[in-house]
Amino acid sequence: MDENALINSAQKGDLDAFNTLILHYQDTVFNTALRILSDEDAAQDAAQEAFISAFKSITTFRGGSFKAWMLRTVTNACYDELRRQKRRPTTPLEPETSDGEEMDSPKWLADPNMTPAEKAEADEIEHAIQHCLDALPVEFRSVVVLADIQGMDYTEVAAAAHVPLGTIKSRLARARLRLRECLRSFEELLPASFRLERESA
Amino acid sequence: MKNFREIEQLSAYLDGQLNPTESARLESRIESDPELASVLSDLRFTRGLLRKLPKRKAPRNFALTRKMVGLKPPLPRTYPIFRLATVFATILFVASFSLNALSSMGGAAAPAAAPLGIGGGGGGGCSDCGITTEQYAATEAPSLEMAPAATEAPAESAASDSGPAVTEEATRIMDATATPEAIASPKEAPLPEATAMEPAPDSTDQTQIQNEAPFSIPWTMIFLSVSILGGISMALMRLNARRKWQ
Repeated sequence: MDENALINSAQKGDLDAFNTLILHYQDTVFNTALRILSDEDAAQDAAQEAFISAFKSITTFRGGSFKAWMLRTVTNACYDELRRQKRRPTTPLEPETSDGEEMDSPKWLADPNMTPAEKAEADEIEHAIQHCLDALPVEFRSVVVLADIQGMDYTEVAAAAHVPLGTIKSRLARARLRLRECLRSFEELLPASFRLERESA
Repeated sequence: MKNFREIEQLSAYLDGQLNPTESARLESRIESDPELASVLSDLRFTRGLLRKLPKRKAPRNFALTRKMVGLKPPLPRTYPIFRLATVFATILFVASFSLNALSSMGGAAAPAAAPLGIGGGGGGGCSDCGITTEQYAATEAPSLEMAPAATEAPAESAASDSGPAVTEEATRIMDATATPEAIASPKEAPLPEATAMEPAPDSTDQTQIQNEAPFSIPWTMIFLSVSILGGISMALMRLNARRKWQ
């Protein structure tokens, strides 16, 4: 895929070229939105909004990392969604246990190649991490999602989050520190492999 | 617990964001400080957990449609010309129609007063409103020309030595023959100043009232036709472009 050629065509209004870029980035964009918003439907809406907004403003893209530019767009869409949720809070329709806690959603990890034990393990890890991510302030959450989950370097995260590099360093350190504290309370839930890894480290 | 500055450095070190000098300095401190090493271990563990989070596939395709992004079909190059012509014709039509309507309203009031000044008789009824300049000229001219004919007649009758009866007859004949000429060119008639100059302003007022209508009806109709045809052409162009695009 010649990304630059596709971007140039998209800048001239070629929607098919932009759709090729979407096919390449849609998993990354959706995952980012999912980790920031912690809701699949909201993440889908944010991803779609981000792609529409990106196509409309693609003429403003002046080179550099298209992935960073795209993730900045989806991060902004997530901020908009969170603001909207704040204005109009909704009650989730997830089924609850008798204790009033939300039941684990089996569709969360619908990977047919995993064994039931692996699924359970992954489910535990994912829920624990997502719970701790949700506890972070949104600006910390977005930085940690972009740097640690999407694997972007500091410069890309700074471009995506539209904040200086020093702020990224600081936010990331604070976010990791808070996550570490939060995950300690889930230590017994974490799989043995992770506990051993930690001990060995 | 270490201070935040140290934790920030450890976090940056983990990501390889420190320069070689800073890295070397921090590494030597980590070796000598077990607490610092423990914090680094915790941060590495946390980052490792985040990196091992399963990547979810997008549950659906996010490809955009033209409708989603509000894209419109490309229109032919001649479309702006049609649009400009249509807008221009519509403006002209509206302007000409309004001006004509205004001038006809003004013209309806003027003829009602005009017969009073010319004929000195009634004629204030609205049946006179629709009378044109030519009609006024035809009806009023004989009475206007009556006086000059009467004054000229004695000079001619003196030359032919005829009586008053002949003079009256000649006057009637001259009236009948001279009236169209008087209408066409009133100045040709040798009118005395007192009688000939007075009616002239009245007749020019009447023609001015009619001439104030800036556009004749055919022009208004042309403007209307152009604007309607332009609108239809534009709609057809848009329809055709959309059909081709889909």
